[in-house]
Amino acid sequence: MKLLARAVFLSNFSVVPSAVLLMVASLLAQPSLLGKPGPAPQQTPKLTASAIQLERSDPPEDLLIPEDTRVATYENVILQLTKTKKFQHVYRSGDRTAASVPDLVVLRLIPEAFKAGSQKQREVTTVTGATSIKVKIQFTSKDGKVLREKTVEGKVRFYGENLRATYDLAKKVAAVVNETF
Amino acid sequence: MRTRSAQGNRGVPSKQRKIVRRSLQLAAIVLVFVATAGSAFSQQLATPQGSQSTSIPHVKCVIGLENIKANAKGTLSLLPNGLEFATGKNKVDISTASMQDIFTGQESRQDVSGPAGTVAKAGIPYGGGRIVSLFSHNVEVLTVEYVDSNGGFHGTIFVLSPGKATVLKNQLVAQGAKVTNHVQPPAQEQKP
Repeated sequence: MKLLARAVFLSNFSVVPSAVLLMVASLLAQPSLLGKPGPAPQQTPKLTASAIQLERSDPPEDLLIPEDTRVATYENVILQLTKTKKFQHVYRSGDRTAASVPDLVVLRLIPEAFKAGSQKQREVTTVTGATSIKVKIQFTSKDGKVLREKTVEGKVRFYGENLRATYDLAKKVAAVVNETF
Repeated sequence: MRTRSAQGNRGVPSKQRKIVRRSLQLAAIVLVFVATAGSAFSQQLATPQGSQSTSIPHVKCVIGLENIKANAKGTLSLLPNGLEFATGKNKVDISTASMQDIFTGQESRQDVSGPAGTVAKAGIPYGGGRIVSLFSHNVEVLTVEYVDSNGGFHGTIFVLSPGKATVLKNQLVAQGAKVTNHVQPPAQEQKP
């Protein structure tokens, strides 16, 4: 009887390592999961510019965005662009001195969607009341040629004021700038 | 004899109690009067009727002023030729001539907020933090758009107590600040 119990016990122990081995083997069979890239993704060449100018873009007529949200987006993006340290100078919209920069890149944030949430609703329910703002980032040359485009979305889901969505958006814009320049 | 002396002893404390009670009532009345008069006097000091300089303390500058940190608190003053925001260390002026547009809006803010408030709310058992989140107060937001000497666009956002942003905006418009007609987003639940 004792022998039988010992055999059952040992057999249980042999199942566990074999299962672990099976899982490791299956993981090894999928190289992409272990960080080994499959076919190399198409690398887009990085842009170079000594200065960037952030232009303001009006939203479409059917999209109403509060002015404080637009201003906060603009100012947060200016701050985050400066923090990237990719450019010698970050020019504001309308700055006349930007005209003398030969390799100036113009950044436009074109609003595409906006959803005004509620901080109270977020904090009370935790699942509703998110604020989100979606913009299309467009890098153009001085003569208006579009160099790169991408859509990003800034959100505040749980805690924080509505304007925090603009901070989140600005961080994402800065990330796009970092991967583009 | 014992009875008399006992009655006499009882009478003295009751008189003292009456005196103490009356003096406390008087003190409370005086305290309420002083507090009311003080707040009224300070309001008169903050916004003198008909004068050109209005000074509003405890204003939050959310973003947009150079050399002023985001969410800094300070005093917003109306000067004869523009606005001035001053914190303990720094002071920034925006001239009326440089202003391109001014917006005001109503919002609400949580009574308990910020990282410390959030931690405190999370620490209340049985979801009590959600009840605390129901308490909020109204604020008014003043957004000023202006240009610098090179023509670069700037925007700054101030959070004031209700009613004060509209007063400031009207005074700035009277000084000659530009204001366009705005299309307001549809009225919704007061968003914090």
